[in-house]
Amino acid sequence: MAPQTIEVAVTLTFLRAVGIALSILVAATPVAAQAPQDDPDLDINFAQPDFTLVTLPTTLRVPKFKSAFRVTHRFTRPLGDGSFGDLAGDLFGLDSGAQIGLEYRFGIMRATQIGFHRTSDRTIEFFAQREVLAQGERSPLTISALATIDGTNNFRDSYSPALGAVISRTVGEHAAFYLEPIWVNNSNTLPSEVIDDNDSVLLGVGTRIRIRPTVYLTLEGVPRVTGHDPGSTQIGVGLEKRSGGHMFQLVVSNGFGTTVGQLARGARDTDDWYLGFSISRKFY
Amino acid sequence: MRRFLLFGVCTLAVAGVACDEKLSDITGPTPNLSTSFSSIQQTIFSASDPSGRLACVGCHTDQGRTPPVNLVLTEGRSYQQLVGRASTGKPGATLVIPGDPDNSYLVKKLERAPDIVGERMPRNNGPFLTEGQMRVIRRWISDGAANN
Repeated sequence: MAPQTIEVAVTLTFLRAVGIALSILVAATPVAAQAPQDDPDLDINFAQPDFTLVTLPTTLRVPKFKSAFRVTHRFTRPLGDGSFGDLAGDLFGLDSGAQIGLEYRFGIMRATQIGFHRTSDRTIEFFAQREVLAQGERSPLTISALATIDGTNNFRDSYSPALGAVISRTVGEHAAFYLEPIWVNNSNTLPSEVIDDNDSVLLGVGTRIRIRPTVYLTLEGVPRVTGHDPGSTQIGVGLEKRSGGHMFQLVVSNGFGTTVGQLARGARDTDDWYLGFSISRKFY
Repeated sequence: MRRFLLFGVCTLAVAGVACDEKLSDITGPTPNLSTSFSSIQQTIFSASDPSGRLACVGCHTDQGRTPPVNLVLTEGRSYQQLVGRASTGKPGATLVIPGDPDNSYLVKKLERAPDIVGERMPRNNGPFLTEGQMRVIRRWISDGAANN
């Protein structure tokens, strides 16, 4: 196949994926009203101050026509290697290589956000999220529909689309709890002729607890409940500090995955834990 | 109701977007290799490939020579020679155990398992079968090693 034909095919696949993802989200809910000048989405949500836990999305809405950026760093030095002196000598892994992720998200309409996340193993994920139910008098939970698609090799190979729900319950301004069932197609990067399972169903669980006015503890785990489940369940713990529009998060995790497809492929099948950090910035 | 229908249609459409990898993406020098025994016979046992790997039947034939370990891999005879048959090179080993590629001695010899007798196949230091080609052979065995 000629290179131009491949590029056109990849572009069409991408556009089709984005179009479908958007149509899902728009179809899943009634048309939202126009955002007023004093959009409540612009206010700080103390129980849910960021768009992600450690890797899983939250139900925090991006205000209409506003955006946010996030950088993730997952250092590749296992914290258990060598003595404590060795670890301190490597500044707890900061001297080692890292898997780095860059993310940008944008509120295209009220309660609807789209974005992308690229990791340094050249995986690109596009995602869209739409709130379908808000916690309040009518519902004890907030529910968002989530659609993503990963592609490895700069979105040229191994596409893994995913559909899921992000279900949250906030408790005052003190905590938020999450349950996130997500179906990931083509989570196995081998041809279906030589594998048993090509899909994974994740059941992300997580919480964020406000332990000080601007300090949070975040926990999450992403077990695969059925389908392709190599490696082990990725688990992450984060300690966070909110400062204005920034959120600084120190992470300890047993894996490097930050996209839905990577989470479906699991953490490394070892007892190793790794240090990392994330910084997010809201542009509003 | 309309919303749920639309959601269902879109879900199916998203599933259609997924591009499963082609088998030829992993089978390297033998793009036509598939998980049937006839394909393995024609592509691996009976034919050399562009990587320089020699056909198994170059040695494992009884045409004009005595086959190594008394194993004939020519078309029409290889299936009976392999599936469920005891190895003559390693007592107690079975060449192909349907459903169990890890314990099939054919796989062990092709992948150089630590407990093999003699050298890895193809002999004389390869070129050996690629990881993708081995995945296909393993899949044929784990699927029951049918004579298909």
